[in-house]
Amino acid sequence: MAASVCRVGSTVGRALAKTRSPILLSLRRGQASVSYAQSLVGAPETRLTTLDNGLKVASEETGHATCTVGLWISAGSRYESEKNNGTGFFLEHMAFKGTKKYPQTALEQQVESMGAHLSAYTSREHTAYYMKTLAKDLPKAVELLSEVVQSCSLNEAEIEQQRGVVLRELEEVEGNLQEVCLDLLHATAFQGTALGQSVLGPSRNARTLTRQDLVDYINSHYKAPRMVLSAAGGVNHEELVGLAKSHFSGVSFEYEGDAVPVLSPCRFTGSEIRMRDDALPLAHIAVAVEGASAASPDIVPLMVANSIIGSYDLTYGGGKHLSSRLARLAVEENLCHSFQAFHSSYSDTGLLGIYFVCDKHQIEDMMHWSQNAWMNLCTTVTESDVARGKNALKASLVGQLNGTTPLCDDIGRHILNYGRRIPLAEWDARIDAVTPRMVRDICSKYIYDKCPAVAAVGPCEQLPDYNRMRSAMYWLRF
Amino acid sequence: MMSMAARSGALAPYLHSTKHAVKSLVKPGAKDLAPAAENVEYSLVPAHQSPGGIRLAHTDIKIPDFTDYRRPEVTDPNKSSQDSSDARRSFSYLFTGATTVVGVYAAKTVVTQFLSSMSATADVLALSQIEIKLSEIPEGKNITFKWRGKPLFVRHRTEKEIATEEGVNMSELRDPQHDKDRVINPKWIIVLGVCTHLGCVPIANAGDFGGYYCPCHGSHYDASGRIRKGPAPLNLEVPYYVFPDEDTLLVG
Repeated sequence: MAASVCRVGSTVGRALAKTRSPILLSLRRGQASVSYAQSLVGAPETRLTTLDNGLKVASEETGHATCTVGLWISAGSRYESEKNNGTGFFLEHMAFKGTKKYPQTALEQQVESMGAHLSAYTSREHTAYYMKTLAKDLPKAVELLSEVVQSCSLNEAEIEQQRGVVLRELEEVEGNLQEVCLDLLHATAFQGTALGQSVLGPSRNARTLTRQDLVDYINSHYKAPRMVLSAAGGVNHEELVGLAKSHFSGVSFEYEGDAVPVLSPCRFTGSEIRMRDDALPLAHIAVAVEGASAASPDIVPLMVANSIIGSYDLTYGGGKHLSSRLARLAVEENLCHSFQAFHSSYSDTGLLGIYFVCDKHQIEDMMHWSQNAWMNLCTTVTESDVARGKNALKASLVGQLNGTTPLCDDIGRHILNYGRRIPLAEWDARIDAVTPRMVRDICSKYIYDKCPAVAAVGPCEQLPDYNRMRSAMYWLRF
Repeated sequence: MMSMAARSGALAPYLHSTKHAVKSLVKPGAKDLAPAAENVEYSLVPAHQSPGGIRLAHTDIKIPDFTDYRRPEVTDPNKSSQDSSDARRSFSYLFTGATTVVGVYAAKTVVTQFLSSMSATADVLALSQIEIKLSEIPEGKNITFKWRGKPLFVRHRTEKEIATEEGVNMSELRDPQHDKDRVINPKWIIVLGVCTHLGCVPIANAGDFGGYYCPCHGSHYDASGRIRKGPAPLNLEVPYYVFPDEDTLLVG
């Protein structure tokens, strides 16, 4: 049996044989499927090493021929002030415009010659630079990443050029109404605090940020203890650690003037913002309450609760047989074009909400039924609902990790949020521990009789008055 | 490429806090979209013009500072609002509840005042009671007063009459009532002068029993107003009365 598997590919076979993966042992001739339980146990362990300067190195060796390797940093718009909001985003634009060792064309050529993809993203609390490449090109990839992060050239002419690009991107994002709506939701929910700021930053900052601002940002936030070098795929952990030591040992771990940026808590304000524009065809509305932080024990029951509400859009074929009650109503009453329950969690707070897109005459009904779904969760959620939610959640958690890049991202974010990688088996156990009573209690804690934050974009005249929406957060019958 | 987690449909209820603005170097020699000219004024060209106006970047929208309107516990943006939320909510509900109670009471008062304005006026109510000076009624005499549209008999009974009435046997009476049950002070018998047969006014100090005699159909009442002979079924009605003092009688 082992011989037939090795015939599949020498690299894969060697890698599998080396790790002695249980997946290999359970493969039957001609069959490649693995049961859920096997995939939980069979997932390779994520190995974590910390360098002397505090930089963490984590990897999961899956035996693929490709790998994704990247640097995840605890930096984002939450660390910015009103004056320099948008610096992280601008920096992301500047990242691939050349480093001290490789000017732009040289950098591009290096990446292209490997056939690699070099990408980045910035969010409110995390920034990531990562590269998808062949497993054998890991050393080159790590070198290029270290160059990009540590010695970005930030040349003045480029900065000026990128201003226009950033402004145009700001313009373009106005067309993505989901982004706009959720950004406005954060702006109003966390008004007056750093979390209320958008990642993109205001247009004024895009016009006035200087090279010094970018340099200051790098110096204050790109510190080793806040970074994780994460990799997934056909990578060898020891090799990765060696590469990290040689390229990232120079990353500083001290702050100038001992000014360690400490995140202060962000106040949540129940409020609303309406960006009414009757010329738009559909209304995009998000309603949210303050949720749990990423490391909170309440995260799993809340995720199960969101699975119970689920999501829906017009392309779903289930019709009135969809399992989520809100989705059934959406079909039967023609309530909306799409909705999804979401939970954005940050290091000490979160937003638990429902986002929906609907026609301007359905807003009131959709809002009523969405809040009704919340009330159901807080009061009468049943055993079968919870069982269904748990299964859906388990399936999505496993299904999301379908490739080296999602895996690498998962590892990076977990290390930043929790300090370790939470394995699937642990998620599974925590999900199994959720009972209907737990869902009711925890949902009541976060949702029942709390002031929501509401953001609406588009033809939102029918959206009820805030006091009516606030009143729908409790039931007199209870 | 990492796509916005929001588009993962049914399989992604767990959305993480990622904002994706992805730059990637896929094509070699990709030229930047902006012209590499210096000193160019970059103005945000509004891409979305609608009849209502021009929409600028949503990131330029500044949420106003509502500190002046906030409760003291939530004026600090660096403090979580969760800690004070129970206290604030309790205060709001307490205040609302108390105001509701006061409001309901005020409403009830106003309504009853308006409704009670339709009830009997003072002059009518004044007629409902009658105050009689007893010293003006000599012994053995029966005075008739008009009270509530009906004749009221006030009789100052003699000792002999009192003794007679108290000695009457219950089995003889059509409507058995002892004299004690019909008077507060045995010296005074106060009854309505309306015959219980068909409503005529009996004549005082007439009849076979030393009381009243109704001329209409011949009902005889005694000095306690009880029916003794004749068609009337019941004793004369005793109204509600009190003696506020020695000399005064208040009926009604």
